[in-house]
Amino acid sequence: MASQSSNNHSASADWPGRYHHIDHILDTPGPRTDPEFAAGDQVKNFLRKESKILVIGAGGLGCEILANLALTGFKDIHVIDMDTIDISNLNRQFLFRPKDVGQPKATVAAEFIMRRVPGVKVTPYFGKIQDKDDDYYMQFNLVICGLDSVEARRWMNATLVNLVDPDVPDSLKPMIDGGTEGFKGQARVILPTITSCYECSLDMLNKPTAFPICTIANTPRLPEHCVEWASVLEWPRVHGDRKMDTDDPEHIGWLYKVAAARAADFKIEGVTWSLTQGVVKNIIPAIASTNAIIAAACCNEAFKISTSSAAFLNNYFMLIGTDGVYSYTFEHEKRDDCPVCGGQAVDITLNPETTVEQLIETLTERQDLQIKKPSLSTPTKQIYLQAPPQLEKSTRPNLEKKVSELVPAGGEVTVTSSTLPMSLSLRISYST
Amino acid sequence: MLIDSKNVEESTTALVTEEAPDNKTRRYDRQLRLWAASGQSALESSRLLVISGTATSTSILKNLVLPGIGHFTILDPRKVTPEDSGNNFFLEGPSSIGKSRAEEAVRLLCELNDGVEGKADLRSLEEVLDNDKEWLTEFSLVIAHNLEGGLLDRLSKLLWEDESHPTLAIVRSSGFLAEFYIQYHEHTGESFICVIESHPETAQSLQIDKPFPALLRDSLALDFENMDVTDHGHIPYVYILVRVLEDWKKAHNGSPPSTYAERQEFKKLILAMRKKSDEENFEEAESQAYRAWTATTVPSEIRDLFSDPKDMKADTNKYIGLQKLYKKRAEEEKQIFKSYLTAPVDDATVDAFVKNAHALKLLRGKRWGSLDEDPKALAELVETSSKQLSTHLALSALTSLATKQQPNAPLTPTVEALTAEAQALLPAGVELPAEFGDAVGEVARAPNADLPNTAALLGGIVAQEVIKMITKQYIPIHGSCIIDLIETWTGILPV
Repeated sequence: MASQSSNNHSASADWPGRYHHIDHILDTPGPRTDPEFAAGDQVKNFLRKESKILVIGAGGLGCEILANLALTGFKDIHVIDMDTIDISNLNRQFLFRPKDVGQPKATVAAEFIMRRVPGVKVTPYFGKIQDKDDDYYMQFNLVICGLDSVEARRWMNATLVNLVDPDVPDSLKPMIDGGTEGFKGQARVILPTITSCYECSLDMLNKPTAFPICTIANTPRLPEHCVEWASVLEWPRVHGDRKMDTDDPEHIGWLYKVAAARAADFKIEGVTWSLTQGVVKNIIPAIASTNAIIAAACCNEAFKISTSSAAFLNNYFMLIGTDGVYSYTFEHEKRDDCPVCGGQAVDITLNPETTVEQLIETLTERQDLQIKKPSLSTPTKQIYLQAPPQLEKSTRPNLEKKVSELVPAGGEVTVTSSTLPMSLSLRISYST
Repeated sequence: MLIDSKNVEESTTALVTEEAPDNKTRRYDRQLRLWAASGQSALESSRLLVISGTATSTSILKNLVLPGIGHFTILDPRKVTPEDSGNNFFLEGPSSIGKSRAEEAVRLLCELNDGVEGKADLRSLEEVLDNDKEWLTEFSLVIAHNLEGGLLDRLSKLLWEDESHPTLAIVRSSGFLAEFYIQYHEHTGESFICVIESHPETAQSLQIDKPFPALLRDSLALDFENMDVTDHGHIPYVYILVRVLEDWKKAHNGSPPSTYAERQEFKKLILAMRKKSDEENFEEAESQAYRAWTATTVPSEIRDLFSDPKDMKADTNKYIGLQKLYKKRAEEEKQIFKSYLTAPVDDATVDAFVKNAHALKLLRGKRWGSLDEDPKALAELVETSSKQLSTHLALSALTSLATKQQPNAPLTPTVEALTAEAQALLPAGVELPAEFGDAVGEVARAPNADLPNTAALLGGIVAQEVIKMITKQYIPIHGSCIIDLIETWTGILPV
């Protein structure tokens, strides 16, 4: 291993025996290895010198993913994260220390990995995935997501599906997605346009709990109802336009006191500081061990795909650790009418009496679409637009009209929404 | 992806939260929501021993140091090799080579949490087993990764000898394949582990079929017909079901609805009581109607008595009243329970016991190695769990081959040699499962490889089970856990 390059991050940092464990796998095929596997130097060179991998998220999963990739031999790793380090991250995000609180996660994580694993280059970006364009994403061989947001996953998924150009094989970037919640988690492999994509499986997400406003206002029964009353109704009433900051302990303290007083009035038990914070921030429990399992599963797939050293996951691994170790590996099927990768309009059958307003309500309730505040149009006219205000005003009268007056049977309606990573095409038919 | 509201409530009420939380509570916030202060204090009192400082061992430890165990010791006489420093995140690359593996790993693991005490012990396990066995029993739990067969045998037998000896987690890995097993304590002839808070996710039955007197009385006292519309729309569904069932039983010789047709009729009766078509409480009652014909059995009876009903459409007073009714009943039952106790038990333990009585779990474990000594059981598993058994046999074959050769000689077993060892474990005439070829080929490919991803996954999954054992919350694994990271599955081999 002579120094072939002056670059600090080149293979010159390798020492004899460094990859002893991994080389067992890369030097010899196993019984379930693809015949295309180019054992030996070819695959090692690709992994260690050519491969470029992108990690989305430097949080609970991201820290684990970066460490695993670095040890496995990936040497050109990029990481994007828009968050800064909070003290509540330290029970699992093991690249961060108390002195790092307030610093950008991507930067601190990248520096830590480069210090600990010599010769690995990690390039951080402290910002949003939406800041980057197609050219940026084109440079990677593979993308691993360790995100806690559905919206960001939808955006990344749609971006990678749109990147696929059938004439350019390199435009297909495998996306490996992990997610955890308490003792549960999942890891999956998405080959954009080929296998089921993130959007195909939206209906697998749990419906978020929403408390009816009348319960909150009139008949609270649970401590959560009291917290919602404090944050949704009392905060704006007392503070007017002043924005509530769920990271500000004073704001949480105020909400806690108001919620606790209401709970006392209604003889409801269980309002605590921690519960108040959990409800307003929608906190999901998170532990190091579950993140380690899911991140390892994701990185193992990245390693197998990048080296062809073994078959890879087809295509979904789900783990439930609350009762023993239960896991389920299955193939999630591609949806022909998937708005992102299906390339077809979504068929929807309406009663001819259905109004535009009712259609909007139906769309927002559909678990497989997850749309908030949609705007609707046909190729020839605007049906209803949420913004800008003047167009909202001019299209508002349409809300009460029947859809059948505006769209012929078999006609298409284009739906756009800030929660949709793409525009959605609906093909309307009417029941008779 | 919201958490169960009941879980949040339960786990957070255990925290002292009158004031803004202190730094420690903030640091552990995301895990306290899973195991509360009781689980955290159990973790902080635990003392763990980890045998050898391999990549898998340090990965497991990382996930236990972060949530805050009390103490850990790494027992390892070896010096860091270039191979070690390439695949272990808790060694510092080339600068760790030649130093004590235990000391390097302890130093870097301790950086993760200054509330945790770590110690390196440079003796070999053999030396400890020969001269200082007692020391091993001072820990609450022992974790052993890829231990040589003879030593593992001695260790597992020693820890099985006495019920007070620590639990042993045995971890084996080879390339993409792995297995782990937890040997529970021995207790009055049989080994067991008692989980106090198992956090079940199944619904409560609420004793609708056998209402306790106060519940029946309150339900019958409601004047459904003459109530105003708002009150009618806020009758908790529990009262509706109790009432409709009581009327039904009167008309049907005391029997609940039993046939499909009767059950449909029962549901119609509920909906027919609505004053307005959109009364959610009656819809809830209809959707919960199965409770009327689901017999309350002993465990769920306890469950109902000691936990509050979940949220339902109701006005505040009626809901809180119902909640009080169940709480009062629970208190009465607790007094009866206490009268049965023959030995003095402190109130806090009685409270924890009855509060979680619905979710008590008793698991009986077996000694490590008992499966491989039982050819008949293995032959049955060839039929029922062939995939999992294949991996287990391939790893057992590797362990036994390694035991037969000189210590520290390079281990390069052939598929043939491994297959012969595995075959020897089965009774004569029983063939190895069809999937054995896939497993044994991988073991021969990378017998000693401690791959970073396999190590990390084991690190998570073993730590998760150790946390469950220490906190006595959630349900730990029962049997041997088999992991295949080629097709990415895990499975349980019943032992």
